Formats: sequence, structure tokens, C-alpha cells
Amino acid sequence: MDVFGSFSLLLAFVCAVYAFLGGMVAIKTRHPLLVKSTRQAGMATCVLIFIATLSLEYLLFTDTFSMAYVVSHSNRDLSTFYKFAALWAGQEGSLLFWSTLLSIYVLSVLIAYRHKNGELMPYVGVILAGVQIFFLTLNNFVENPFKTLATVSASGALEPFTRLDGNGLNPLLQYPEMVIHPPNLYSGYTGFTIPFAFALAALLARYPGEKWIHLTRKWTMIAWCFQSVGILLGAHWAYAVLGWGGYWGWDPVENASLLPWLSGTAFLHSVMMQEKRGMMKVWNVWLVFSTFLLCILGTFLTRSGVVSSVHAFANSQIGPWFVGFIILTILVCFAAYFKNRDYLKSENVLDSMVSRESSFLFNNLLFLVACIAVLSGTLFPVFSEWFTSNRISVGAPFFNKVMIPIGLAILFLTGVGPLLAWRKTSLDSLKRNFGWPLLVGIFFGIAAFVLGYRDGASMLCLFLCGFVTWTIVLEFYRGAKVIRARTGMSLMMGAHELAMRNTRRYGGYVVHFGMVLIFIGLAGAAFNIDTQKAMNVGDSLKLGPYTLVLQSGDTKVDKNYTAQRMIVEVLKGNKQIMLLYPEKRQFQGNEQAAGTMVAIYSTLREDLYVVYAGMDPEANVPVIHAFLNPLVKWIWLGGVWVVMGTLLALMPNRRATLVLAATTQPAAAVPGEPALTPHVSLREGHD
Amino acid sequence: MTKLKRIAFLCVLVAFACGPLLTAQVGYSQRAKQIGMHLKCMCRGCDMSAGGCAHPGGAFSGPCDTAKAMLKEVDQHLAKGESEQQIIDAFVAEYGTVVYVEPPKKGFGLVAWLMPVFYSLVGFGLVIFVVRKWAVRPASAGSAGSQVHNEAMDRARAQAARETED
Repeated sequence: MDVFGSFSLLLAFVCAVYAFLGGMVAIKTRHPLLVKSTRQAGMATCVLIFIATLSLEYLLFTDTFSMAYVVSHSNRDLSTFYKFAALWAGQEGSLLFWSTLLSIYVLSVLIAYRHKNGELMPYVGVILAGVQIFFLTLNNFVENPFKTLATVSASGALEPFTRLDGNGLNPLLQYPEMVIHPPNLYSGYTGFTIPFAFALAALLARYPGEKWIHLTRKWTMIAWCFQSVGILLGAHWAYAVLGWGGYWGWDPVENASLLPWLSGTAFLHSVMMQEKRGMMKVWNVWLVFSTFLLCILGTFLTRSGVVSSVHAFANSQIGPWFVGFIILTILVCFAAYFKNRDYLKSENVLDSMVSRESSFLFNNLLFLVACIAVLSGTLFPVFSEWFTSNRISVGAPFFNKVMIPIGLAILFLTGVGPLLAWRKTSLDSLKRNFGWPLLVGIFFGIAAFVLGYRDGASMLCLFLCGFVTWTIVLEFYRGAKVIRARTGMSLMMGAHELAMRNTRRYGGYVVHFGMVLIFIGLAGAAFNIDTQKAMNVGDSLKLGPYTLVLQSGDTKVDKNYTAQRMIVEVLKGNKQIMLLYPEKRQFQGNEQAAGTMVAIYSTLREDLYVVYAGMDPEANVPVIHAFLNPLVKWIWLGGVWVVMGTLLALMPNRRATLVLAATTQPAAAVPGEPALTPHVSLREGHD
Repeated sequence: MTKLKRIAFLCVLVAFACGPLLTAQVGYSQRAKQIGMHLKCMCRGCDMSAGGCAHPGGAFSGPCDTAKAMLKEVDQHLAKGESEQQIIDAFVAEYGTVVYVEPPKKGFGLVAWLMPVFYSLVGFGLVIFVVRKWAVRPASAGSAGSQVHNEAMDRARAQAARETED
């Protein structure tokens, strides 16, 4: 199976090269058979990558310990669930997984548009094949996952060698979210390849108008949604497994995932300027290019060892390959732009400073500043080493100080933007629109103060959360009121109808509301407290309103690990709330690393986060580390709303139509007057 | 001495008596932990601050041995009456600038702090410039012809959007 997988990868590489070179010839000659042949080669590339991936999964499931990758990332007692996830646990497997996810997108695009957009698709196919060639080069020649173990025999020849068992999966990865977090994040990274390919193709082909934007709108939203979910799942995984009480540490790997998310979010907003007003064509193209490049740059940063990270891929030699690919992509983008920049000419006209258009400009400014600030902060240790020979570390406190004001400004614009009209907003309209949201914001601020959240940035954040929430409520209310007046629907049904008629707009508002919930959660971070204590059975520990009593401890033996478990009773006042079971796990095959299973009592107000840290080396008694983290649950709830909003935005609009419907005779008809012909009234319906 | 004062005095006595015990239990003081939040744990394995080290993946999910040693060292500096800045400087002298958790607001470290301000100002200036440039077309933007043109364009775009809806 290893030979099968390896051969599939090699064949995929050959097909991708054919799709790339043949595609370029097809663009020149326009020969329909060649166009079809290269498209099918692109599809074959994807299928062959799937086969290679299935081969590696088969080797993992069958405990083939003659394979270096299987030995490094699996063991016999590892559950099937985690054997599946071992595919992306190491450098080689995760790069293959990257190619696989990219192939899903590529195959979908090639199939979906096989009979459409004939002028554009050959270019798209060539660009996608080019990206695939890069990753297949890594898969085949740099980080091949199908390497077998070998030993040197007495005669000096290499002989195949099979280990009895593997080293096992990194304990930190043995958590259910590990199975879904990387696929989501990678789907985000790889998904941005599609809008990139279409943007570059449209530029190269001088494809008319904004059609590339219409074509890629959904692909961009899908990639963005995966990226958002991936980031949040990563944060939740870090929170539930690492045992440090936090969810975001501004680690370079986390930052790398945030970079394309920030530029992608800017793109999702600025693209509306082009759709509505035909403006910012150049800017949008470069935003898409940048987003794709940031995906590649982020991968380079975290897999090359350029910046230090707690994540596992830091020691590798693939850095130069990524640098080469980034430089080549930048050159291609610049060349395409300078050759065809006249095609992107647009008539940019602003009727007023106070308009939706200008709010989008400031929105893009803030997202880009946030993106560059994260990037420069992540790279600063490298810069400092270049310029001064001393490496200056940049950790979480720096990013928090820089990003909090930017985040608050973005939150402010989230509320202001939708209140501004396209072209021009009058002073009256501003007064009418801002009054209630401001009042609600002030109420939120006062409530925060009364509830004890007395930190400047947190109070400002909660004030803005109230403000933005009310602007969203008003948007739904006003629209629903109009529908109620026209159709007689209830307000709730009207709001539903409204959302279904303009899914993208109202889906966007739902996403905004999700972000508000996330910001509420982030505001709580200023009030985190923690305490740590070595405890004998019966000892208690007080934290905020809670008292923790160590009831007992036991040992839990699983096939793949042995866990030391503490049983901690949680009391609030004198009332017993629940029992928590924090664990420390020692996994088979991993002698050095241990895993932590945090026990969390989560409410909307706060999380009681209890870690069994291990045995105190001096006193030889269990050490309990407890954290009280306010409002964290709101972050995960916000994530759910973001996903729901994006799904809504992806749905097709329900179209409002005017239909004729008979109505009953008015009750107050005057007797004796000639009977009215059954009259008709206009009411709105939809197909 | 009133009863209230006596209770307060007793509380202070108890606090003084228990303080060293608490320190002895974890091996470092609360103040050391606070200062440790500004120093990077130099175990080169966790990338956390010495004060906030949870050493994920370690046998002990709390300050690792390196972090504990650093926090005890902070306590030694505190015992000599040194200020927070003096202590941080002492650690920088010992480990180099890599021990900072956030760049210092002096020397090359200041660049890290100024960069976001610089981007923001340049970006803000650019947006203002662009807005002003785009706004300086009243003749074409405000004319009736242009209005018609814009409306026609809007309709055409809406139609294009519908027709290309996937």
C-alpha cells in the first residue's frame, strides 16, 4: 500500500504538471480537445491525491510499523478515532492533507464550471494546477509521508525494517477537537486559493466586469467560515487541553491563522463596494492576492522554524520552498497586474464623507492595520535579530495592548457601518439611527459597571456590544415592520421573511451579532483570577464565590493511557454545585509528554476551570490549579452565531414578487350601492 | 484598643504569619509571580511567561523547574530591595533580550511599539486622501446624466448579480 500511495502521489504530480503546461498551451491555441484534456488532467490529479491519502490512512489503520510516518505518529493502542486524525499530526501527513483539501475545492470548481465561463476556466485550471504542483512537490520530494524504515545489514545493504509498535500520537493532540480543528483551519487556508485563482485568471484573461467576484463570492464565504470555525476550535482546544486557563496566547501559529482571516474579512466587506458601486477594483484584486499569500506565509512561518512556537511543526527544512513559492507568486501577481492594470480602471466617486462607502474604507483600513500589526509583531523577533543581533521576544501582552484599540474600533464600525446609507447620509438620518443604539450601549456600560466589570477597555467593549446589538435589532425591526405592513405577517415571521429575501445582507448581520458575542467574551478576560494549592484529601481552596474541596483521587486505566484523576467537589456558599474530575494522563509510547484534561464548570457568567497540575515534587501531594474566567462561554456561543450567519448568507435569496390575490368584500360596503367587482390587491409573494 | 482594632490587629498578625507559609508552599511570592509575568520562561519549551508558565505537555501543569527557579531568583532580587525595572534589567543582562515578554519601550524595542502607530497614521492619511480625491468630482457625480448612469449601472449590476447567482 505504501508503494501504491507513493505512486499515486507521483502520478498526481505528473498530471498536475500536464494540467499546468497543457493548460497554458490550450489558452494559446484554444483547442477544445486540449482544454478538455487538461481539465480532466486536473480532475485526475485530485483523484490521485485522494487515493494517496486513503493509502496513508489505510497504513495508519493497519498499524504498518514499517512506515516511518506511522511509527512517529501512531501506536497499536491508539483509538481508531485518533488513528484517523494522525493523518495531519505530522509535517508530511499534514502537507498531504493540505493537498487533499485543496483537491476537494479544485475538483468541485472544475466540475461545477465545466460547461460555464469557457473564457475564464482554462486560466483558473492553470493557476490551480500551479498551486497543486507546489504542494505535490513537497509531498513527493521534500516531505514524503510514504518513507519506509530501513536498517543497515551486516553486508552494508539497506534492509526493510518493521517496528513492533509506534511512538504514539502527541498527547496534546489526543482530544476530540483535534480531529475537527485542523480540517476546518486547513479548509480555510486552502479555500482562499479559489478566489485567488479566479481573481488572477480574470486579470490575465481580462474577463469582463465583476463576474469573477460573483463567481467566487460563495467560495470566499465558505473559506472564511472554515477559517473562523478553525480558529475558534483551536482556541477552545487550547483552553480545554493545555491547562493554562487561556484560549488565545498570540503564538505564531495562532497569529498565522488570524492573518488571512483579517484580510479575508476586509475583502468580504470591500467587495460590496465593487458590486454596488463598481469601485475599488484594484484594491479587491490585491486583497485576494494578499489573502492567499498570507495563507502561504503563515504556513511558512509555522513550519520553517523561523519563529519559535509551541506548535509541533517548527523544525523542518521546507522553509526555502515556501519562500521560493511566495516570491514566484508575488512576481506573477505583479506581472499580471502591470500587464493588464487598465482592465481594472474604475470610476471611484464618493458623494459624501458620511456614507456607507467611506465606512467600508475605514473598515478595510482597520482590518489591514490589524493584519500588519499581527504580522509585524510575529516577525519582530526575526527583525530584531537581523538588525541588532539580539532576539527580542514579542508575547501576548504586546499583542493585547496593540490589538485591543484596533478591535474596539472595528467593533464600533460594525455598529456604525450598517446605519450609514450608500452615497450619502443626512444628519437627520444619523440622529434617527444612532439615538437608541447609543442609549442601549450606555445601558450595557452601566450594567457592566454595576456587575463589577470595572476595567476601562472592558466597559468600552461592553458599551459597544450594546450599541452594535441594537443597530442589528433595528435593522431587522425596520425591515420586518415594512413586511408586516405589506403582508400582515407577524414581526417575527416578517424578520424571517426579510432575512430569506436578502440572505447575504441579513446573514452578515447575524455574523456581526456573533462577533458581538465573541467580544463580550473577550471583555471578560480582564477579570480572570487564579490560584494554585497543594491539597491533601479534605483540604479546601477558595476562589471567588466558589469553594473547592478535594474529595479523593483515583487512577483510571484506558487502553492507550493511564490517568490520575482528582475528584473535586464544588461549593457555592454552602450549596453543592457539582463534582469535577480534572485528570493528568500518561500515554502509551510517549514517556516524556503528559496530557491534561481540564474540568470546567461553565456558566454564562463565568467558567470555573480546574486543573490537576500533578503531584507537588516536594510535599508529594496533589496540586490543584483553579481559574475563574468570566464570560468565556460567550465566545463559543458567538462562534455558533457566526456559522449560522454565514450559512444564511450562503443561501440563495427568496425572491419577492408581486402577485394578484382576491380579497374579501369590505365589510363596510354601503348597502344599495352597486356591487363592486371582486377587486384585487397587490400583495407580496415569492417563488 | 477597641474590639474592632483588636480583630484587625489579629488579622494582620495572621496574614504576616501565613504569608511566608504560602510562599514556602509554592516556593515564590505573589509579587515574584507578578514580575514573572513580564519575563519569558527560559525553558525554551513552553514559550510562556515565567509567572504564567503552565508548561503544557509537562508532567506538572504549573510553573516548570526553570520558571520556578526564575521566580525564586526574582524573590532574591526583591529581598535586596530592587525595583521591578531593575529586576527585569538583571534578567536581560543574564539571558539577553529574548527574556522580554513584550519589547522594551527603548532602543530597538521601541520600533515594535511605534510600527502599529505608524501603520495606523499612514493608513488613516491614505484613506482621507482617497476619500478627498474621490469626492472631488462634483460635476460628473452630481449631474443628472450621471445620476441616470448610476441608476442604470445599479440595475445592470443587480441583474448581473441575479444571473450569475449560483
